[in-house]
Amino acid sequence: MSPKTIQPQDGILVVQNLYKTYDQRVVLNHLSLAIEKGKTTVVIGPSGCGKTVFMKHLIVLERPTDGQVYFQGRRIDDLDERELAQIRTHFGFCFQGSALFDSLTVYENIIFPIEQHVRVIDYKQLSELVKHKLAMVGMDGYQNQYPASLSGGQKKRVALARAIALNPEVILYDEPTTGLDPIMSDIINELILKLQKELKVTSMVVTHDMKSAYKIADRIIMLHKGRIIADGGPDHIRTHPNDIVQQFIHGKVGEAELAALRLGGTRFETQFLPEDFK
Amino acid sequence: MIEELGQWTIRNVNDLGRFSRFGAASFAAILRTLWLPRTYPLIFTQMNAIGVQSVPVVMATGAFVGMILAIQAYGQLASMGLEERLGVLINIAVVKELGPVLAAVMLAGRVGGALTAELGTMNVTEQISAVQSMGTNPIRYLVAPRVIACLLLTPFLIIFADLLGILGGWAVSVFQLRINAGAYWNYSAIGVEMWDISTGILKGFFFGGAIALISCYKGFTCREGAQGVGEACTEAFVGCFISILFLNYVFAVVLDAIYKTFWPLRPLL
Ligand SMILES: Nc1ncnc2c1ncn2[C@@H]1O[C@H](COP(=O)(O)OP(=O)(O)OP(=O)(O)O)[C@@H](O)[C@H]1O
Ligand SMILES: [Mg+2]
Repeated sequence: MSPKTIQPQDGILVVQNLYKTYDQRVVLNHLSLAIEKGKTTVVIGPSGCGKTVFMKHLIVLERPTDGQVYFQGRRIDDLDERELAQIRTHFGFCFQGSALFDSLTVYENIIFPIEQHVRVIDYKQLSELVKHKLAMVGMDGYQNQYPASLSGGQKKRVALARAIALNPEVILYDEPTTGLDPIMSDIINELILKLQKELKVTSMVVTHDMKSAYKIADRIIMLHKGRIIADGGPDHIRTHPNDIVQQFIHGKVGEAELAALRLGGTRFETQFLPEDFK
Repeated sequence: MIEELGQWTIRNVNDLGRFSRFGAASFAAILRTLWLPRTYPLIFTQMNAIGVQSVPVVMATGAFVGMILAIQAYGQLASMGLEERLGVLINIAVVKELGPVLAAVMLAGRVGGALTAELGTMNVTEQISAVQSMGTNPIRYLVAPRVIACLLLTPFLIIFADLLGILGGWAVSVFQLRINAGAYWNYSAIGVEMWDISTGILKGFFFGGAIALISCYKGFTCREGAQGVGEACTEAFVGCFISILFLNYVFAVVLDAIYKTFWPLRPLL
């Protein structure tokens, strides 16, 4: 358990006692965490445990029900939208569902954050930059396509390129490799490592892929039912004594889930089968 | 029962409060957008989608209104021998009320529905959050250009509706009902004042603003899923429609008062 003594200055991003409910359902249950500058933190946890909600709190796309969020020692969860807009330029956020603007081409999607904050003079240089960013994720040549004509994995990669377009200090990736083939996943892992090494980027990655988690993580955090149940380096997690953690990282089904599957066999009395419609 | 009524009231008052804040934020964003010429291309794109492409439907609406008024009113006036005054009746009705209101309703359906569906889909696919996450105010980027385009173009669309209404009424009266064209125009010119035309067009400014604001608000607050977007569109159209009628009533009262106040001064103008 993380001690309650985490201070706002303990890391580039700090959350204290973060608590979030949706219609009385608790999603984040008093989380406290300090994220060190320049490190890659991987967040794992079962589907629906609140990873995405947690990440959104870090750039205050969601407001906490209770608790505080600090960025560079400054409290940000109570700022108004104008001040937040300023803070958010330090971040890149790669959405789980890509969230590309479907009325803009790939090229326009990537220059969007740049055009919003930088007075662009040299468009030739800009298109070089876009080419470079797209090449990093293996998507060069797709500049003039619309997102609707891309596959899920391609959209994800364009979204990644967009998240890193402004060279942010902190990049939050929500499942960047889900839906990508193994080789592409590894390219993304390498990209995350490269950005950390060369630009000293602080990264936070949500993933279900333990292989990439071990590869990129300086620290792994496991969320379960809105709490942190494991926190430490890859080796610490690999040998963690908690059963839930061990089951999760090895992808083993627990006794309770198996029991639910066994319940009632496979053919229910009330089940409709094709022969019923003859 | 009472509890339900209470909840309903609270929900609607909340909604109204949020809409007011949305409106205030949009207003601030509009002023800022007008101040920054580099955002003008966004406005022109919206003007094209909202205004230019609505011209045909608005013209058709106007034309049919004028034509139907001619047919319906002719019988009444002819029985009193006043059929040559048909022009006044048609043109006043078109220019003051029917042109602006029906053009606005047409726009509420065409533009309002499209805006809500577009922004609603952007909302449920997290594109609005994405705009936010990149440090841009979504109201400034998405709402302001749309509201400005609607504000500026609705009056023009009303001019089109008026024009076609007048032409439609004239065509039916003169060619189908065989009214003397000279008399038709003469009576019209005496009966219709500049005041009627300009206030009708001025209304368009407010109707356009209401349509765009309500539709964008419904899109921004739309619930998850295809059903959520659908419901938001329905609510947006109903909201726009009621607001247009309500605003029109307010206008009738206010403009009437203004007109009466300045009536004695008219010869001086
Ligand atoms: N806007 C919302 N309104 C209501 N409930 C929400 C909302 N967003 C998330 N939740 C709930 O919060 C919980 C956590 O959701 P979240 O998206 O963070 O899960 P996750 O850990 O990212 O899962 P996955 O791995 O499947 O992406 C879910 O039970 C979800 O139903
Ligand atoms: Mg998620």
